[in-house]
Amino acid sequence: MTGWHLDDGTLRRYVGRTDSLAEGTSVEQHLLSCEQCRARVNPAVDVIDLAAVWARTRDAVEVPRPSVFERLLRVAGLPAHEARLVAVASAFRGVWLVGVAAVLAFAALAAAVGHARGLWFFLAVAPLAPCLVVAFSYDRRMDPALEPEMVTPYPALRLILLRTIAVLALALPAVLLLGLVVPGDAPFAWLLPAIGFVAVVLAASTWVSPLNAAMAVSAAWLTTVWLVATRSASPAAVLQARIQVAFLVLAAASFGIFLARRRHLRQLRPWR
Amino acid sequence: MTASISLRGVGRTFGATRALADVDLDLEPGVIGLLGPNGAGKTTLLRLLATALPPSQGQVRVLGRDPEAPAERTDIRRRLGYLPQEVGFPRGFTAFAFVDYIALLKEWTQPAARHAEVRRVLDQVGLSNLVTKRIRAMSGGQRRRVALAQALLGSPPVLILDEPTSGVDPEQRVTLRTVLAEIARTSIVVLSTHQTDDVAALCERVIVLDQGRVRYDGQVTELVRQAAGRVWLADQPDPAATVSWRTGTGRYRNVAAHARDGVEHVEPSLEDAYLLLRRGSPENDPAKEVAS
Amino acid sequence: MDSRPGDETLLLAVAGRDMGAFRTLYERHAGWLAIRLARRCNDRDLVADAVQDTFIAVWQRPQGFRGDGDVAAWLWGIAIRRLVSRMRTRGSVAAVFEKGGAAPAAEDQVLLSVEYGDIGQALARLSPEMRAVIQAVVLDGLTAREAAQLLHVPVSSVKTRLYRAKARLRAVLAEGSS
Repeated sequence: MTGWHLDDGTLRRYVGRTDSLAEGTSVEQHLLSCEQCRARVNPAVDVIDLAAVWARTRDAVEVPRPSVFERLLRVAGLPAHEARLVAVASAFRGVWLVGVAAVLAFAALAAAVGHARGLWFFLAVAPLAPCLVVAFSYDRRMDPALEPEMVTPYPALRLILLRTIAVLALALPAVLLLGLVVPGDAPFAWLLPAIGFVAVVLAASTWVSPLNAAMAVSAAWLTTVWLVATRSASPAAVLQARIQVAFLVLAAASFGIFLARRRHLRQLRPWR
Repeated sequence: MTASISLRGVGRTFGATRALADVDLDLEPGVIGLLGPNGAGKTTLLRLLATALPPSQGQVRVLGRDPEAPAERTDIRRRLGYLPQEVGFPRGFTAFAFVDYIALLKEWTQPAARHAEVRRVLDQVGLSNLVTKRIRAMSGGQRRRVALAQALLGSPPVLILDEPTSGVDPEQRVTLRTVLAEIARTSIVVLSTHQTDDVAALCERVIVLDQGRVRYDGQVTELVRQAAGRVWLADQPDPAATVSWRTGTGRYRNVAAHARDGVEHVEPSLEDAYLLLRRGSPENDPAKEVAS
Repeated sequence: MDSRPGDETLLLAVAGRDMGAFRTLYERHAGWLAIRLARRCNDRDLVADAVQDTFIAVWQRPQGFRGDGDVAAWLWGIAIRRLVSRMRTRGSVAAVFEKGGAAPAAEDQVLLSVEYGDIGQALARLSPEMRAVIQAVVLDGLTAREAAQLLHVPVSSVKTRLYRAKARLRAVLAEGSS
């Protein structure tokens, strides 16, 4: 806008608030459409620290906002930077969790309706849910930033364990709750197998991709359950102390292998 | 702690394939270019230097430390920046979020310092206006620059870059060259590229790899000098030339292993010397495997 | 005016996530917005927060500007509402015009009468509370409820004062023209 501009005296009175309402309104109305006079006003601003407000605004806009899960982790006691690291894993993109939850819910529903087959189905699916979610949380295909991540100093073992624990902290209670809906003596019969499978996937991830390991474990378990289900009518077979102890041993051994081979977590296994 | 990298008798095999053999190198601060055709072993060598792969034979020492020892490996990784050939980006991440994530993995625990560093490296690669743009919405060259930015975090003493300028437009390449030249004053920068003009502009030293072996290791100027008197222009491709191609002016540029008289000689470029090296040298040992 | 991008161009760039354009927008407008807000609110921290909120809102919805009128006016609309919103949660006292206003200088008087005629002088003869209400509702375009939050008074007071202020203005103007 060319032509008429505010004189220095008027501007000074406006900034210093020694003018009248009418005069001030006149100035304000003019400023709305005159960028030259606005530019003259800006250097005189001392009512707020413009640079500090800019820094806060820029942070609000640039810095990624913590997700719900990240905030939960902070509340749980993890320092802010670790909470972020743990939360930024593909499993928490929601899609996979929803998928797993859907299958579990279906299984629990089937079991609650009372069909014996439904109970078998729940026992087949429930132990697999945690290891699948763990596998999703750090598989290469889900975690595309793999190669630059690989050569960073942050301890890989710590990161994977933290992520696994975080994932289990979500998955286990969810399956637990659904398990309570299932009729039967021991809604926790699936717990030790679940932990066993998580440990197997962790150990196998030092050789192959976690997702492949989880798929293999799933296939093996489902086949086993199907075979056992066709032989005996009652899922109580799984409850036997022998079986539960076997899973405990499996978990411990697998975890031991995982720890022993942890250097392979941060090394590429390319074909060429 | 020394400021150098050394390799002694380093080899790397993948099953039946030998990707690297008998590599002996000593690298000091500066920009070192790595040239070679596809499959020459450049990426494998860079991965070895970046501690992402262990060697099958030989010894690697980075900054005086042995990558085979876990504690020393972590020490190296604290002082290392690596740009792989391909970088995938998690969905929904902005440039800022991605570089911030890698900064977390590089142990920048204080948010204020970390954010300032993230902004600094994004500014170095010329992306300060686009920090909040989703990476998936960026052009290939911009994505490459984001990937380079994470390698620059902390101004590391060792910078390993696999094709840093691929897909980057010429204007931005000049910016990147300036950045790398600045860093190379105190750091070791090893970069691989297909672009001989990047090497010519940036590097004092060049290593040419072919089929897993070092074919040349020395000054760029020396390599170029090897082609002196062996490059000439003509109106037709010369049958006596080792390589000849049509240039933009319509004339043919010819390169030959032996110097020729009575032709219109021109100043050799690094590209000429490189082609000569590749086409001119005979195979050493037919018994060695071909790298995949 | 040629090489410098206009505000509307900047807004387009902000929609494309251009931080440089966003910063330029801030540098052009944060200052006068802060001053204008500070004339309605004593609390500097609130003003700072309101400015911050304003620009974050601009970042989140730059397409909210429909292209009608000045970008500056649109920004002010956002800013005053952000201030009101902040004041809802913090009970701060709004700035009111204490001074009745000294008699304006001769040339200003001419300008004022061009802009507002006798109204300027009529306004000067209102009480500070009435003037504040007029400014909030009539000049800044706030609703009665928003004005109540800004001035930290009940909505009924706003309506009463507005009614009285308008009556007073009419009386003064009628008096002046006779």
